[in-house]
Amino acid sequence: MAGPVYIADCESAVQSVALDGLSVLFHAPSGMTHIVAAPAPEILEALRIGPAGAGELLARLRAWYDFEGDEAADAIDARLAELEAAGLVRRA
Amino acid sequence: MSGSDEKAIGTKGFVPSRRTVLVIGAAAASTVITIRPALAQSAGSILNCEIPVPGPHAGGNFIAPDGSLVAPGTPGAAPPLARPLRGEEVKSLLRSGTTPAGVDPQSAQAYANYVRRLQAGMSGFTCYASLQMPR
Repeated sequence: MAGPVYIADCESAVQSVALDGLSVLFHAPSGMTHIVAAPAPEILEALRIGPAGAGELLARLRAWYDFEGDEAADAIDARLAELEAAGLVRRA
Repeated sequence: MSGSDEKAIGTKGFVPSRRTVLVIGAAAASTVITIRPALAQSAGSILNCEIPVPGPHAGGNFIAPDGSLVAPGTPGAAPPLARPLRGEEVKSLLRSGTTPAGVDPQSAQAYANYVRRLQAGMSGFTCYASLQMPR
């Protein structure tokens, strides 16, 4: 996979509360609060296993979930870009 | 979210009890909304705030590629910057990888990672947190 490799902060750096269909994340290193919807919490969880590029990340998620739709490969980049812009993931 | 009853986000031992369907979504759909902390900073002051690399607490230490502080002279680590980075420079560095003037491009990623690891109470943290806020 030639694309960037991403890292998520460890679980202790992000407090999360699951709401009905959404999660609220408090990212302690930045002091920012984020409201996220699927698949953001799942991506963060999968990245906590270790740094991964988009391809590896999709493989991890596929081990846990079935995907709906066939645009996952395109959309995962957009999801990662959002999480990076929010400061929830960073490039390795 | 899909299958939120299947797991507890943020708890240890995350294992979905049965396979659920995850919607990665369309490229244009957004799944993250960020709430701004109540920091009284105007756009101008954000871009002009400063982040020392490293902060005064670590004067003289070098910066490893992952942004951690290491002993002076550590091979592969970047030396301390002679001047603080301005908010505008940090923003460009973090968003597009633009190396600030006078900074060694080879070391820029180490400095960027140092900034990303800043925590509350560290010099430059408020500046960094302000930069992350969407306008």
